[in-house]
Amino acid sequence: MSTSLSSLKPIVRLFLTARRRGLLLGAALSATTVSAGIALLGLSGWFITATGIAGLSAATIATFDIFMPSAGIRLLALGRTASRYGERLATHDATLSVLAALRERLFRGWAAPGAARELARRPARLLFRLTGDIDALDSLYLRVLVPAGVAIVAAFATSVALGLMDRLFGLAAGSVLLVAGLGIPLFAGRRATKHARRRTHGIEAIRARTIDLVAGQTDLLMAGRLDAQRTAIADADHYAAAADDRLNRIEAGITIGLGFTATALLTGALLAVAALAHGGAVSPPVAVLGILIAFAAVEPFGALRRGAMELGRTLMAARRIAPRLSADDEELHHSAAPLPGFALRLSRVSAGHDTETPVLHNIDLDLQLGERLALVGTSGAGKSTLLSLLAAEMRASQGSVECLDATLLTQRTELFQDSLRGNLLLASPDAPDTALREALAAAGLLQDVAALPRGLDTPLGEGGMGLSGGQSRRLALARLFLRDTPLWLLDEPTEGLDGATARDVIRRLVEKANGRSLVIATHIRREAAIADAIAVMEDGRITEVSRRGETAFEKALNRLRPD
Amino acid sequence: MAVLKIAFLSSAVLELFAALGVALVAVYVGFSLLGEIRFGAWASGFDLTSGLFVLLLAPAFFEPLRELSAVWHDRAAGEAAIKAIEALSADGLQLPIVSDTSAPQTAAGAIRLENIGFRYSEGSNAAIDTFNLSIRPGEHVALLGASGSGKSTLLALIAGHAACETGGVTLDGQPASPALQAKISWVGQKPHIFAGTVAGNISLGRPGVSMQAVARALDLAKLGRFARSHARRPLGDGGTGVSGGEALRIAIARAACNAEGCIVLADEPTAHLDAETARDITESLLALAKGRTLVVATHDPQLAARMGRTVVLDREIAREAAE
Repeated sequence: MSTSLSSLKPIVRLFLTARRRGLLLGAALSATTVSAGIALLGLSGWFITATGIAGLSAATIATFDIFMPSAGIRLLALGRTASRYGERLATHDATLSVLAALRERLFRGWAAPGAARELARRPARLLFRLTGDIDALDSLYLRVLVPAGVAIVAAFATSVALGLMDRLFGLAAGSVLLVAGLGIPLFAGRRATKHARRRTHGIEAIRARTIDLVAGQTDLLMAGRLDAQRTAIADADHYAAAADDRLNRIEAGITIGLGFTATALLTGALLAVAALAHGGAVSPPVAVLGILIAFAAVEPFGALRRGAMELGRTLMAARRIAPRLSADDEELHHSAAPLPGFALRLSRVSAGHDTETPVLHNIDLDLQLGERLALVGTSGAGKSTLLSLLAAEMRASQGSVECLDATLLTQRTELFQDSLRGNLLLASPDAPDTALREALAAAGLLQDVAALPRGLDTPLGEGGMGLSGGQSRRLALARLFLRDTPLWLLDEPTEGLDGATARDVIRRLVEKANGRSLVIATHIRREAAIADAIAVMEDGRITEVSRRGETAFEKALNRLRPD
Repeated sequence: MAVLKIAFLSSAVLELFAALGVALVAVYVGFSLLGEIRFGAWASGFDLTSGLFVLLLAPAFFEPLRELSAVWHDRAAGEAAIKAIEALSADGLQLPIVSDTSAPQTAAGAIRLENIGFRYSEGSNAAIDTFNLSIRPGEHVALLGASGSGKSTLLALIAGHAACETGGVTLDGQPASPALQAKISWVGQKPHIFAGTVAGNISLGRPGVSMQAVARALDLAKLGRFARSHARRPLGDGGTGVSGGEALRIAIARAACNAEGCIVLADEPTAHLDAETARDITESLLALAKGRTLVVATHDPQLAARMGRTVVLDREIAREAAE
């Protein structure tokens, strides 16, 4: 346990460096609230008993000071309310702002090329983990650290207050509180870790399988596996529910354990003050004060219940997130700049998504500034991989890559559930509306956008739903136009468009590319026809490079799909 | 911060009343005992015991209320979730439910569409209107048409993905049923790739699909090398990194595993592919359809030319083809 608790260190450090004052203030207010609660009950009991005894004779009624205690009671009652409200505000505000900063930092980390590819491979799992982990850290401060600190403060305060009556009594009460009050939640938290992990895995499986059910509906239906998939989802659900049930049992166990502790403490306190009062060491009102303090002292430990249940999840989240925090500020990787006059130079480059199976072998390729190159070859020949390499989304395992700053138009149009403007601003966050309209006009989409009642504010559905295939591609193109880089990498820019639209898009692209270098991965003739050179790829190798005017160039063009 | 200020007001108010409850009980009982207050108790008045008892009851009285306030937010979240789930299950096309559990017939693969009509939602234009088609067992038919001409919808109706609004589909002279649906293999335009191994993606966990059957299917779809290169690296969610051609080959291999299948339906199998890959896929598809009925929806004239019969679904294409 101690080793896993140490994984919390970087997270705690992050919390403290970000909002030290807010967090400490929250903890202090929380401790004030709890202490005021205990004091309120204790003082009330003392007051009642004292007045009861004073009321027995007319002489003491006159001399009994009723104002100080009753003022104290009112002060504690109002003070407790105020400090509770302040505590809630301070702790939540601090936590939320720390988490917002953490979220941004982690998402930036995941945006690095290698990490992003990993994320794209397993979105159901990794994205869920990422968001789930941050949510889990939310409970670290609110449900673990603050309640634990407050409970310890309350235990010490109780111990001191009771210790003033009798040293041994205070010591015993304090140790019972600390040992049982902290021990029970810690023990339960340890037992809950396994089930919390199983629950998380179950929920991950539910999500991934549900996505498969929805996205693969047709395939599953035609294979007669729709019911099997439903059963698989139900199984994952049962698995998670079973873990949930175990967690609930453990939580109930904590409640019972703390209940026993409270009763034992109260009984012990009753016997102790009875003995003390009998021996004359304390007056009856003070005895009642002691009992009521013991009665209220267990309450703060109840707040540890939820923290204990989430401790496992929090530790797991901390373990996964901590390395990403220490490896922070991972700079986006940039290729070395080529010699003047060149857009890119590759020499003897090999690369692959993992080191064992390179996709590209021994690639030599030069492109002069302002030239256009078409990459052709069968599906799976390595065209897209070469573009990722040029876009600095992956590193070469061998050889040298020199390349200017490049923008990649991906094969699949990636649009987001956001407004049209939001989708365009990705390319250039500070671009004014005039620049956006200009780009839309250049992509031939401005008329369509102007016809929409909400114009640039039109919201798009998930994956850009609401636009036709042609419109989506034009939007992606407009986004490319907003990127003023000397090299544009285009992966099948007009795939899926009908002939007329495609020719229009290509015309606009050529117009806008004026002076820039282009690399176009394609298998359609109309796209390769605008190139100055064609490189043929086969099995991750470049087998032939031909220039416009050569017969090989025409041959390569003629092998492509006419359209 | 503004949201938090309001959100925590409810708990602050409850806290106030809980604290005031204890304080008022203490003050009231205390003053009663002193004799300053003489109302609210039975004739005999408070004594110390009953006063202390009432004081101990005060926090207990507020305890359930606190617990209620703690779960009140959960209740709101739960209600929102129920609404969202109800909204999700409200609309959408229903799969035709056929409660026919007769034993699987020996099927030959004849398909007959009689006067079928279909629209995607009430009030929308008919996607298909009184369409008739009869396909003999073992025949290879291309449904040729531009996007939006309804050829994919026709395939979906044959496959039983949706029920016809008018008319009906019969397979071997019988209305569609789950037993007959098992005879149909589907090669979709964008097959879904499941996270996991290549073999798992092809068998899809179907009982009765042996490792040998998967190996034969890999062979037929020319996926041997792909499977070997992914032997140690399982496929990602949604087939990230799997090219369009590879995904289609996986779909063909899936169909090839269905030994009982006598009908193959393929929806635009060569769209979005380069010429060479399209040719390869066509060959694999024809190998798969050997001895089976094949219906291909396409706008690729080269693929249509390899079929036994071409059915043109839209006038514009018909005119272009004639020119």
